[in-house]
Amino acid sequence: MAIINQATKELQVKIVYYGPAMGGKTTNLVQVHDHVQTAAGNKGKLVSLATSSDRTLFFDFLPIEAMSIKGFKAKFQLYTVPGQVIYNTTRQLVLRGVDGIVFVADSQYEKMAENVESFANLEDNLKTLRLNFPDIPYVLQYNKRDLPNVAPVEYMEFILNNRDVQVPSFGATAHKCEGVFEALNMITRMLLHKYVSQAAPQYA
Amino acid sequence: MSARQLRNTHDMASLPQLIEEDIGRLDRELRDLLEKSDATTALIIDKGGFLISGQGDTRQFDLTTIAALASGAYMANQTIANLVHETSFNSIYQQGEKFSMLVMGVDENCLLVAIFKAQVSVGAVKYFAAPTVKRIAVQLQIAQERDPGVGLDLSELNLADPSEVFKRKT
Repeated sequence: MAIINQATKELQVKIVYYGPAMGGKTTNLVQVHDHVQTAAGNKGKLVSLATSSDRTLFFDFLPIEAMSIKGFKAKFQLYTVPGQVIYNTTRQLVLRGVDGIVFVADSQYEKMAENVESFANLEDNLKTLRLNFPDIPYVLQYNKRDLPNVAPVEYMEFILNNRDVQVPSFGATAHKCEGVFEALNMITRMLLHKYVSQAAPQYA
Repeated sequence: MSARQLRNTHDMASLPQLIEEDIGRLDRELRDLLEKSDATTALIIDKGGFLISGQGDTRQFDLTTIAALASGAYMANQTIANLVHETSFNSIYQQGEKFSMLVMGVDENCLLVAIFKAQVSVGAVKYFAAPTVKRIAVQLQIAQERDPGVGLDLSELNLADPSEVFKRKT
């Protein structure tokens, strides 16, 4: 849950990139890190806790200070989870305090079962953390659209976005930075909008 | 100027809004700990990885990243505690050659992190940190029970423009 510090005039929010192994979650963070436009000093280091073969072991972490709203500094913390099935405990740890989620799906046909399994795992983990899934804003990113064996977007929508409330989804080729900022800006907009919507009636 | 109040809707407990009085008290507690224990830097962090407050030498360390990693390490250790049939490991200690670090649980949401020179005794830091943790927990409880009445009005943000927040370098 976002932290609001009235003394230092800071709003801190946490966005987690979730999805199956090798789907491109870390690539999203690398691309944001490499291409985001920020004032000097407003972008932190990208920290990756990875194995020797560059697979995410614990998480990747990227802090960015993006803007000021009415004098409040908005600080965003972007995390990825390890996609490999065996690291579920780690995924639960990273999800603690999450404000918004980008679910990075792999568009290849043969990865569809893993996408579905990972999404179900996300729902399970949020329940374990006593978080109500409909309360957490999320977007879908259909990554690797440049590969030859990808499923049509309509098919991916049917598999992953076939719910009562459909969420925004984006085709992406993360390693070319396509669809990366679109998904990030949308989840940011959704979670900030949630706070506006939740706000109590104005005081005089 | 209008003020809006944000409310936590998640079931999972989360940190309350902190006002100047809270941060002032927390900072005083951290400074008191630094003075008594000879630690270099003291932080209060959220278990989700956010840095809440820091005192002491805050320039030579990347505190934002330390907060994210220390909370991850602490939470991972809590999971290990459960696996060995312990209710919790209330603190973790990392011994280094130049600096060492102690992380202690404060309450359901927060942790205290002390970074100190390797020659400083961890026993002393732990001894002085124990009452600090209690006093910090009391202040956070006060903040939890308070209804500050003034929150963050995000209505100025143009939510119709999704490209506004993060811009890509051209």
